[in-house]
Order: sequence, then structure tokens, then C-alpha cells
Amino acid sequence: MITKTLKSFAFLGIFLFMVSCGESTDTVESGTYQGTIEEVEASKDEIYVKTDDDKTLELYFKENTELTRNGNTVDFSELEEGQKVEVEVEKVGKRLDPISVKIME
Amino acid sequence: MDQVPDFWRAEVFHPLSVHFPIAILLVAFLFKLIALGSAKELWIQGGTLLLLLGTIGVWIAIYTGDLADGIVSRKICDPTVLKEHQNLAYVTAWLFTASLLLDLLKFSKTQYIKQKNKLLSILCIITLTIGSGYLMYVGHLGATLVYQQGAGVYQPSEDCSEFN
Repeated sequence: MITKTLKSFAFLGIFLFMVSCGESTDTVESGTYQGTIEEVEASKDEIYVKTDDDKTLELYFKENTELTRNGNTVDFSELEEGQKVEVEVEKVGKRLDPISVKIME
Repeated sequence: MDQVPDFWRAEVFHPLSVHFPIAILLVAFLFKLIALGSAKELWIQGGTLLLLLGTIGVWIAIYTGDLADGIVSRKICDPTVLKEHQNLAYVTAWLFTASLLLDLLKFSKTQYIKQKNKLLSILCIITLTIGSGYLMYVGHLGATLVYQQGAGVYQPSEDCSEFN
């Protein structure tokens, strides 16, 4: 029974470790990055972008963030998971402020 | 800033709701520890009631935390701390939910489960111990967000003119 209990808690430990490591995001230097939208949180005007070098950027749109498609300004609702985007970000402390987001497709 | 902002802002509901489950769950853990060595109903049933109230409270705190996230993340200087606070808060909430379920199982009338009451008590205490550790660390992260980064806190102007 002790072995069973230990096994259960080893499993619980691994599960908790995996959950606590989940949805981690990265900080990058100011600049322009290309990647794919992993998640769109419309209620918070927020997107997660997976860059081509495998970093996850969490971007909260600001009032002055430009969102464009083919050079035209578009609404936040145009953003979807899986879209290719080019983002220009400014690093403020460890926060990433999106200056512009271009939908590539 | 010309005016003092309204107190009832979306980000304020999190600090209003989070202290209740922190206190209640830590006391529930204490009750359950005492109940290990005492057969008094006060510790057994009191602990369960506190655990139930605290677990409901912790999920309310998760909801209000999510409301605050969209506002606070745009202002703080290190959102990685907020992300860790958020991720570990979910782990904590699930741990206490598991503890509650294990604890409620002990009240089952099924013979098979009755025979496993000792094991359920041990599992419940272990999950409560881990959960309490996570709870304190998550609380510490929340405090650093407020006291180091001013998360959700209104900064008055230098001359306090908005209070005139």
C-alpha cells in the first residue's frame, strides 16, 4: 500500500510540476519578430505569439497598438489562432508592449 | 490626473476576495491536523466546513484575479511574476479541491470507502500540506506584485492635487 501511495504522489508531483511550468512566456529585446498566433484572448485584447525561434510572447494591446492587414487597419476581431503575424514590440522592464501587429496572411 | 479614480475598479475585487480563502484554508489545514489526533467533531466537521468555504473562496479569487490580469498586466514592469502567480494559483486551487473531495469521501456510507478512511485522511493531509505551501508562496508572489510593482494600486500625483 505504501508503494501505491508513493507512486500516486510521485505522479501528483510530476503533474503539479508540469502544470506549474505550463503557459510560460518569454521576454525578448525590443524589435520586430515573426511568428504564429497561439491564442487569442478577446476579452483582454491579448494574444500569445510563438516566434520562429520558439519563444512565446504575451502581448496585451494598448490604445496605440497598430493592427494591420495588407496595409489597412483592421479590428482586433480579425485575429485568429494559427495566423502568421509580424509584431514590433518595445521592451519596458520585462513587459512587452506591442507597437504594431501585421497579419501576414 | 485630475480626479481620484473610482475605488470599485475591476482590479480591486481580487484583493477584496483573496484574503478570505487564504486565512480560511490555512485554518482548515490546522483543524485537519488536530483532527488526526482528536476524535472531536469540532475539528473533523469544522475542518471540512472551513475547507469547503475556503475552496469556494479560492475559485472566486481565481475569477477576480483573471479580471484584474487584463488591467494590471499592461502596467507592471515584470509580468513574468504575474504569470507565475497565476499558474501556481491554479495548482493551489486544484490541490484544495482534491483535498476537499478526499475529505468529503470520508463521509460516504459505502463500506469499501469506510475501510479506506485512514488512507483518505493521510492523502487529505498530504494534499493540504502541499496546498498550504503553494498557497503561501502564491500569496507571497501576489504581495510582491503589489508592493514591488504597484499592481492595481493608484499612484497619486506628487502634489496630491486630485485630492483637493
